[in-house]
Amino acid sequence: MTKAEEKPALFPKLPDVCVRCATCMAACPVSRVTPRFPGPKQAGPGAQRFRSASEASVDDWIELCTGCHLCDMVCPAGVPISEMNMMAKAKYLDERGRTFRDWLLVRSDLFGELAARFSKIVNPLMKNGLLRWLLDALLKIDRRRALPGYEYPTFRRWFQTRPAVPGITGRRKVAYFYGCFTNTNETDVGKAAVELLEAHGLDVIVPPQRCCGIPRLGVGDLKGAREMGRRNIALLRPTVRQGIDIVFSSTSCGLMLRHEYSRILNLSGAEELAGRLFDICEFLLRLHEEEKSTATFLPISLKAAYFAPCHLRSLNIGLPALELLRLIPGLDVGMLEADCCGLGGLYGFKNEKFAIAEEIGKDLTEAAARMKPDIILTDCEGCRMQIRHLTGLKVLHPLQLLRDALNRT
Amino acid sequence: MKRFDLIVIGTGLSGLTAARTAVDMGAKVLIAGWGMGALTLFGNTIDLLGEVPPETDMAEGITSWIAAHPEHPYARTGMAGIENALTDFQGLFPPPYSFAALGSGNSLLPTGAGTMRPTYLIPVTMAAGAAMTPPGTLIVGFRGFKDFQGDTVSLHLKCRGVSLSLPRYGLEGLTALALARLMDEPSFRERLGESIRLQMAGERFIGLPAVLGFRNPAVVLKTLEEITGARVFEIPMLPPSIPGTRIFHHFREMLISKGATFLMGHPASRAKVKDGRCEGITVQNPPLATQYRADSYILATGRFLGGGLWAEMERIVEPLFHLPVFQPGERGKWFGERFFDPKAHPIHRAGIVTDADLRPVDETGRVVLENVHVAGSILAHHQAIEEKSREGIDIATGFLAAKRALAL
Repeated sequence: MTKAEEKPALFPKLPDVCVRCATCMAACPVSRVTPRFPGPKQAGPGAQRFRSASEASVDDWIELCTGCHLCDMVCPAGVPISEMNMMAKAKYLDERGRTFRDWLLVRSDLFGELAARFSKIVNPLMKNGLLRWLLDALLKIDRRRALPGYEYPTFRRWFQTRPAVPGITGRRKVAYFYGCFTNTNETDVGKAAVELLEAHGLDVIVPPQRCCGIPRLGVGDLKGAREMGRRNIALLRPTVRQGIDIVFSSTSCGLMLRHEYSRILNLSGAEELAGRLFDICEFLLRLHEEEKSTATFLPISLKAAYFAPCHLRSLNIGLPALELLRLIPGLDVGMLEADCCGLGGLYGFKNEKFAIAEEIGKDLTEAAARMKPDIILTDCEGCRMQIRHLTGLKVLHPLQLLRDALNRT
Repeated sequence: MKRFDLIVIGTGLSGLTAARTAVDMGAKVLIAGWGMGALTLFGNTIDLLGEVPPETDMAEGITSWIAAHPEHPYARTGMAGIENALTDFQGLFPPPYSFAALGSGNSLLPTGAGTMRPTYLIPVTMAAGAAMTPPGTLIVGFRGFKDFQGDTVSLHLKCRGVSLSLPRYGLEGLTALALARLMDEPSFRERLGESIRLQMAGERFIGLPAVLGFRNPAVVLKTLEEITGARVFEIPMLPPSIPGTRIFHHFREMLISKGATFLMGHPASRAKVKDGRCEGITVQNPPLATQYRADSYILATGRFLGGGLWAEMERIVEPLFHLPVFQPGERGKWFGERFFDPKAHPIHRAGIVTDADLRPVDETGRVVLENVHVAGSILAHHQAIEEKSREGIDIATGFLAAKRALAL
């Protein structure tokens, strides 16, 4: 259904294609809660007209953009607003320098495996009040934000050490890009993904892979993000060349791999990779629509709210998880109507941005209070953390509920 | 590949209406728009035909308009078609936030420019504006909110105006969205009501910019009316339009809940056409291009601002299907002498000419694409801005296009 093709000249990347209609001002989650961020119209094309590569950046508010991409999605003129913000943020931070905190946080992929191995020690430490106070005081990692616990064995280790699945040989292969968080912090999402894909008649492989690099993009570290991208493209190339589709269960990793590698980072081989990448729900839904799967679901009597993450919306593939969830008989599933959860990945962990993330999240909290669901489902790990924090409700990846509903007879 | 019954291209009011009509008829629908559509730019009230004087019955006015303008989109839908479509639209907005005509014809509502403007269906939050009398009205603006200049409005309307400060929220950078969001907070609107009450000198009407909340504008209205004891009304103003955003999200939520696939953000960049039929459209999200197919298609991409029409050096083109476009003459004649000429600029008559079923036709009247219908402001031979018919055309032709598309 999706294939890479040549780009038409429909996306002129000039600030002057902005007609100042202000539609983006009706979508930005940040400018609606703080006057400190002037909003996408001003921060993007407005300020862009005055930016020069040879002059120092003055945009000290540019870091307040969360990179949610909602402005891009509503713009009727095709202005790449968040890309302009990203480039401006990169320049600003290249000039000012990044903090040790930012250096550390974007490298969670490096210490994640180790932290998972010693999760019995690490997890209680991360809940320790004194340590959190120190992290807050020294690194400005907000102590009011719970840090995600690590799990062992990691997903990757679980996958490699599990017993062989009978009857799997000769099936169509599909590759799984699990992402760091699934690997070390929420391994059950990966297990659910594998189980669902296998129940849909596929043979799952897990090619070698690295962090997609989106945390580095979040702090405007284009060089670091490019390096991660280059590695992943090389690691995934053999899979792509064998004609094997790759699915992702984290919509932010997916957005990074499928679009930002080429759109922002201009990496060679990115388009070839993008043509093989699918959101896992998009992929499973297609199997159902094309009647290529006999998998069915048993009734689950629950009231569920589905929240569409910003980066899923940026993939512009509709709401495949919601459509899949509707295949579960008895599941009362509705949309949790809020524009953004507010976390913005690492953004909401940072002391100076915590209040903004909380205020954005208020709209979601109120939407959940109106709906009173038993459970909330969403595709992004950041959203899941934030929604648990905001509502105290049980929050899962849609895959986990779909796995629970699988008819195994 | 998934096949839809109907693909609607465009997420403005005409596209949303078409998608909604089709979904209600049980169709599997995909709606794809470039950005959010024009509802945040206009979409404050539902104009039908502003040219009809307020004292004239609307049905009579439109009927004689159609007789005098046989090429107008309303001539395709007829008065009965307009009425059916409007009833359907009103059904989507049950009380308390409902749309209604205040009499049998147009009503005059105050605008953010301080003028009185004729319109037909009015949301409940604006209705009192039609009854206001200048001496008994107080216009309330907010310091730091640049999109609504209360002083200008009150000066032109010849009534009293005040500008309130919102100390907690700073003076710079107050946006319509931030204000609307604050209004949704009960404590904020109660405090606002109190501060307005303190400013009142016996006024019976209070006009505010159209930012009275997203979720429950009727509740915001009620709170303010109870505290002030006056009738309160919203005044439409500069984009982004909060009332338009309410309409957009209401449609979007309804469409998704009824199983429509909603794509927003990237244009349908190419259409595959074979033997006089459309066989698919391509939506471009770089570096990917995704194809979608349906039995029928509705083109509702708007005029120039929406991207439905493009002006080349010497002619106007429709970039997706390359449909024949009614041309406004040579370039020198596209525009009148003055920007605010009460007569429409000739370029505004450009658009797609259709048959009675809203299928695009060429100069000889032959249908160009059998399974494509056209709706909304991209249609030729209307002057939606000057004659004040934008929303009426969108709703009536969107409704008709969906009915015809699914009857194929």
